[in-house]
Amino acid sequence: MRNARFLLLFAALIALLAACVAPAPAGAPAAPAAQPAPAEAQPQPTGGQVVIAPGQPIRIGGSFALTGPIPDPGKDIRQAAEIAIDDLNAAGGVEGFLFELVAEDGACSGDQGTVVGNKFAADPTIVAVTGGTCSGETFGLKPILQRARIPFVSPSATNPAITDPECDVCNRVALSDALQGEVDADFVYNQLGLRKVAVMHDNSDYGKGLAEIFQNAFIRLGGEVTNFEGVQVGDTDFRAVLAKIGANQPELIFFGGYSTEAALIAQQMKETAGLENAKFMSDDGAYTQQYLQAAGAAAEGTYMSFVAGDAQADKLAEFTEKYVAKFGVEPSQLGPFHGQSYDSVILIGEAIKRVAKVDDNGNLVIDREELIKAIRATKGLQGITGTLTCNEIGECGAGGVQIFIVENGQFKQIAGFGM
Amino acid sequence: MAVTTYSSTSTRFRQKTATRWLVRGLGVLILALVAWRVVTVGLAEGYPATFWMSQLINGLVLGGVYALVALGYTLVYGILLMINFAHGDVMMIGGFTGFFALQFFMALGWLQGSAALVALALILIVAAGMFGSVLTGVTLERVAYRPLRGAPRLVPLISAIGASLFLQYSVLLIFGVSPRVYQKPALIEGGFRAGGVFIPYTGLIIFVTSLFLMLMLYLIVQRTKLGRAMRAVAEDKGTAALMGIDVDRVIVFTFILGSALAGAAGVMLGFHNTVVKFNSGFIPGLKAFTAAVLGGIGNIPGAMVGALLLGVIEAIGPSALGIPTEYKDIIAFTVLVLILIFRPSGLLGEVVSEKRA
Repeated sequence: MRNARFLLLFAALIALLAACVAPAPAGAPAAPAAQPAPAEAQPQPTGGQVVIAPGQPIRIGGSFALTGPIPDPGKDIRQAAEIAIDDLNAAGGVEGFLFELVAEDGACSGDQGTVVGNKFAADPTIVAVTGGTCSGETFGLKPILQRARIPFVSPSATNPAITDPECDVCNRVALSDALQGEVDADFVYNQLGLRKVAVMHDNSDYGKGLAEIFQNAFIRLGGEVTNFEGVQVGDTDFRAVLAKIGANQPELIFFGGYSTEAALIAQQMKETAGLENAKFMSDDGAYTQQYLQAAGAAAEGTYMSFVAGDAQADKLAEFTEKYVAKFGVEPSQLGPFHGQSYDSVILIGEAIKRVAKVDDNGNLVIDREELIKAIRATKGLQGITGTLTCNEIGECGAGGVQIFIVENGQFKQIAGFGM
Repeated sequence: MAVTTYSSTSTRFRQKTATRWLVRGLGVLILALVAWRVVTVGLAEGYPATFWMSQLINGLVLGGVYALVALGYTLVYGILLMINFAHGDVMMIGGFTGFFALQFFMALGWLQGSAALVALALILIVAAGMFGSVLTGVTLERVAYRPLRGAPRLVPLISAIGASLFLQYSVLLIFGVSPRVYQKPALIEGGFRAGGVFIPYTGLIIFVTSLFLMLMLYLIVQRTKLGRAMRAVAEDKGTAALMGIDVDRVIVFTFILGSALAGAAGVMLGFHNTVVKFNSGFIPGLKAFTAAVLGGIGNIPGAMVGALLLGVIEAIGPSALGIPTEYKDIIAFTVLVLILIFRPSGLLGEVVSEKRA
């Protein structure tokens, strides 16, 4: 008897432990003291220099969400980065030195972002990083890269707190959700004329952050938020939470999160009392082909917002041609952020060209502190997503927010703000 | 042995009774607190009756799925005294097999055909899922558990956790990380309204099919020769072998039964929630394990009752307790911990394993 009870308790403990670990609590930024201090490997208080021997590549790290909740957009972002590397190399690289992409899986989670960050920090040949894909993942990278003096440019992490005045290595091409949340709330209140909404989020740094901004903006406009409900990334049955929301009969549900959960919520809403006629709106994390495919008929008439650059049509066409030739698939089939990803890498590459010097032995020398400043000093760079200029806290993105409606299984743009 | 412990010294006996009363008092206190919270917070929200009805239905559907999976845990535990932690993943394999069967029948055009043809296709898809799971379950038994028979009891448990990870990451490698989407045929799309409560067709099918499969299982275990052999092996493997029962064969048969139920659950869950991916068996597997313990692991009616109860607790709990719905998993696992503390043999008790340990 005692044996059996012990076994059961043990099994239950394992189960609980596993349950706690499994849904990848996206993104608690790692406590600074807990890190194995990569700075110790380099005695200088500043980052020092990267010295690349002739024939060796200039290595740029990449943290991409290749597994986790949005694998397709993650793959798209990685492939776009590879095209950018090809283009930099085709243009001659830097003084004959070629670029190389070191792709790692950030898995869209803070835990994995920390793992990838430590890997890059421990590798003295990594010059700069493109990524992470998700906000939680980037919060994992941020403190580690800051201490290791490795600058990063994220193509798609939109949580406002990714950049801040204290962090000189943090940059992004994506637009902050501070803008997206405001624009979405304004669209729902003024364009759709709705006054009573429910807000849901997936408890990721990205989804919850955006949902809070939306909620605050909507209340400030004078609207009513009936519910503010969290779910978990990876949940598939939302009927219980939707029934709870339906009891308050909101006119629209806004969901901050990624495509799989968004698609399931759009579907299961239709079966919920009080939500039969409610509209659904989600964000750039759900603006994917995968959402359309998974939600099927339920996607019709739902709204999505996307943080877009004012795409340079000819540059985008040229990029798409190379992408299809190399990977055999249209980039827009996988995800929306390829333009930003390409631009992130180009931005890094151009900054490296400005600071890299060849020493007497023919080595390429890149000073880390100079590179950090050079990236921040980017001005008027012509990218796919527009003209990129980094401001004092590292917001380098161009463009504004677009709103789409799903019609006949396609996204159709119906509004654009701040372009 | 329990008996010797009790009679060894009288002080120890008194201590034991005192502890037992303390634990019971604590249990009553917790129940009272929960009831107080439900009355003052949950009911005070003023949700309409239809709301509680639809949550109840959500819970019963969820419970039906948990029950099918929980039976697999309980059957295997009853016979091998081992927790097959890979069972949730066996269910996931069923979900994937069902998905590919669905693709096959869509390509054949059966799902655009008459209602009878669609129904036949659906039954075949469920059967395919069951087949996929059975194949997986039997292979696991042969490769991961049989060589460890007679080893200390933690060893097969660890092997099961390894098997679980192996299955998950094999599927991840082979089919990738993107979820597969079940396209519901028009016949089971949507649902109907009964007294202001919406009942999805897939939910109804899950509940009815679960009850049917549970009834079948009960008949097999209670009324057939193989069932009698299963019960005999559960009672005492050694004696059963002496009576001429092929113990290995009975164990394989147990895995077949459990895996078939899990496969059916995997496919039906696929239709209900429309997505299946490499880790989609993990959380339902843990919940089903919880349900099996709640009802009394090793006890077949216990698994059914525990699963339905757990499903309902999970669906109604957050609203009734007035806490955010994102904590529904916490409610489920708290129930597990409380049951293990206050009633480790489960609601319906477990007769067999008491005797042997």
